[in-house]
Amino acid sequence: MSRLGHILLRLLARWETVLIVAIVGVGIWATKSSPYFLTRSNLLDLVTPYVFIGLMAFGLTFVVIAAEIDISVISTLAVSIVCFARIFESGVNVWLAGLAGLGIATALGLGNGLLVGLLNLPSLAITLGTLAAYGGLAFVVLGGSEASSFPTNYTEIGGGYLWNGQLPVALLVLLGFALVLGLLLHATRFGRYVFTIGSNREAARFSGIPVARVRVTVFALSGFMAGVAGVIYVGNFGSARADAGATSLLDVVTAVVLGGVDIFGGAGSMFGVLLALILVAELRNGMQLVNVAGQTQDIVIGVLLLGAILAGNLIRAAQTNRALAGRLYRRRKEVVGHDQVDSSVPKGLET
Amino acid sequence: MQRRRLGIVGIIAGLTVLVALAVTLSAGAGTAKKQAGYKIFFLPKTTTIPVFTQNGIGAKLAAKALGDSVTYNGPTTVSGAAQVPFINTAIQQHFNAIVISTPDPAAVAPALKRAAAKGIKVISYDGDTLPSSRTIFVAPTSNALIGASQVEAIGKQIGYSGQIAILSATPTSPNQNTWIKFMKATLKLPKYKNMKLVTTVYGNDDPTDSAKATAGLIQAYPDLKGIISPTTVGIQAAAQELQQENKCSTIKLTGLGLPNDMRKYVKAGCAGAFALWNESDLGYLATYVAHEVLAGKLTGKIGQSFNAGKLGKKTVVVSDGNKPVVVLGPPLVFTPQNIDKYHF
Repeated sequence: MSRLGHILLRLLARWETVLIVAIVGVGIWATKSSPYFLTRSNLLDLVTPYVFIGLMAFGLTFVVIAAEIDISVISTLAVSIVCFARIFESGVNVWLAGLAGLGIATALGLGNGLLVGLLNLPSLAITLGTLAAYGGLAFVVLGGSEASSFPTNYTEIGGGYLWNGQLPVALLVLLGFALVLGLLLHATRFGRYVFTIGSNREAARFSGIPVARVRVTVFALSGFMAGVAGVIYVGNFGSARADAGATSLLDVVTAVVLGGVDIFGGAGSMFGVLLALILVAELRNGMQLVNVAGQTQDIVIGVLLLGAILAGNLIRAAQTNRALAGRLYRRRKEVVGHDQVDSSVPKGLET
Repeated sequence: MQRRRLGIVGIIAGLTVLVALAVTLSAGAGTAKKQAGYKIFFLPKTTTIPVFTQNGIGAKLAAKALGDSVTYNGPTTVSGAAQVPFINTAIQQHFNAIVISTPDPAAVAPALKRAAAKGIKVISYDGDTLPSSRTIFVAPTSNALIGASQVEAIGKQIGYSGQIAILSATPTSPNQNTWIKFMKATLKLPKYKNMKLVTTVYGNDDPTDSAKATAGLIQAYPDLKGIISPTTVGIQAAAQELQQENKCSTIKLTGLGLPNDMRKYVKAGCAGAFALWNESDLGYLATYVAHEVLAGKLTGKIGQSFNAGKLGKKTVVVSDGNKPVVVLGPPLVFTPQNIDKYHF
């Protein structure tokens, strides 16, 4: 096959391509099934209620690529918005209060990062602990009540619409963060460090990468993104409660895993996570437009996730030119060397 | 060559899964029936709790009587944020009305206002949203009546003396908190002066969590005489836990429960009396209200009345400080004597 053909094939074998094909496929199905799917207002608005989930998933992407996990993001979001509400209700300017919420979220993420990065404690255990602790803290701050008296000029960021009332501001925020964080992950030295640490932490240390600092930073970044998600949440839903987002952890993790981020670290892309979020939102929207029961929707999303993991493994097996059976059973990451890092490098360039 | 072939295999495998998925979905998704009447979207807090299924059954009965069509759907988690996508798709499908019960009044309000701006009428029932985002709230009963009847039901069983505890759903559930407030007010009456509320615990409307919370109560309060659990999930889990720990004779139970869930525990003496309203009738009434609002006969003015089919004449009132409200009626108390008359 020609060189061009080879590059095309490599491009085709990328996970993002599969997601795009799936998005188009689901779109065709939804268009055929419902006359209401293919309208401008529906297409533009279908991601809006999931934007806060996507923003948390973007932060989590850095953590997972660094071969760690942060399941405390939903509690971080809750603490940041109840603090924001409390500070705002005490008479502080709404923008300053929002900024304070962001700062608090970043500090909570930093707390996770220091425990994991400096003390070398397992991130699953630490963030399981802070999931509960931060969740409790949110109730201490606001109790069981609900704050909903936010000024409209503020709620516009998460709940406003431009362009004939059809283009949601939240969507622009989501795309903006996808772009900025995508550049941070794929085009900076920090991003390369994250991938290297996720592939092989020991090797990263020996090659002079400030491992502890990078690991602390990814957790702080995850906290910060949970804070941004909180800003959007308050805008979109106009309310702050201690249990806000409490049921959305699975959706956040789904976006990351379906986005092709390797749960063992070292591989993944911001674009993939964005596409996965769009796919899930589109699929749920399509199913709701033909009134598929909520339970059935959950089953479909679950099967999609299983299929994604299976297909992702097959694709990686193909890319690394190893026997299928050997790759379906993943070995410990310490043993795996260069081949995981390579999926972070643009495929066409290395041949 | 092997690499290319495997790459293609990978893609084909991925796509096969997706195509299979799409085909399954297409097969499962029925097309909505075309009907002449109003199109009403019925959105419960979640579709995973049986009471909401009952609301849906009642709603469909009313729709049949009125010549309307009801679509019943909702999220599997109890969350206002999870209801919003359903509201958005109901707007896209040009439903005439949305009938909603929500666990998070404010979170669904912006979406409901967008619906109202598109000319869709919004009726809330069971779990109210903000008054500014709906036309009329359909209440199962009055909060004061529930609070009073729950305290009386447990008092009667324990001889109006001893420690009692409350097993609730979540600390943020508005109707749970209102009922608890009225229970506390009722307990201040002289008749109940020897009863002491020792604690309120939360089972998150989850059977396992509720059972754990009950076990915790039994452990922590050896002198506990009674438990009030004003949630259908909580009371059932509590009854089961009391039965397992052989405590039915020492710790009495009341609350809000479904007759079908509670029948065997009532017969085993593990719940002397409990209350609820007829959930099917509640969905029926909410659908009638939606129909009357769409027909322009109800606007939410206090004192307006209408004919609610088999439920007879109903009036728009002020209830529990809310307005405008249509109330289904006083709570229905189930006892070993009458429980076999009810099957929901």
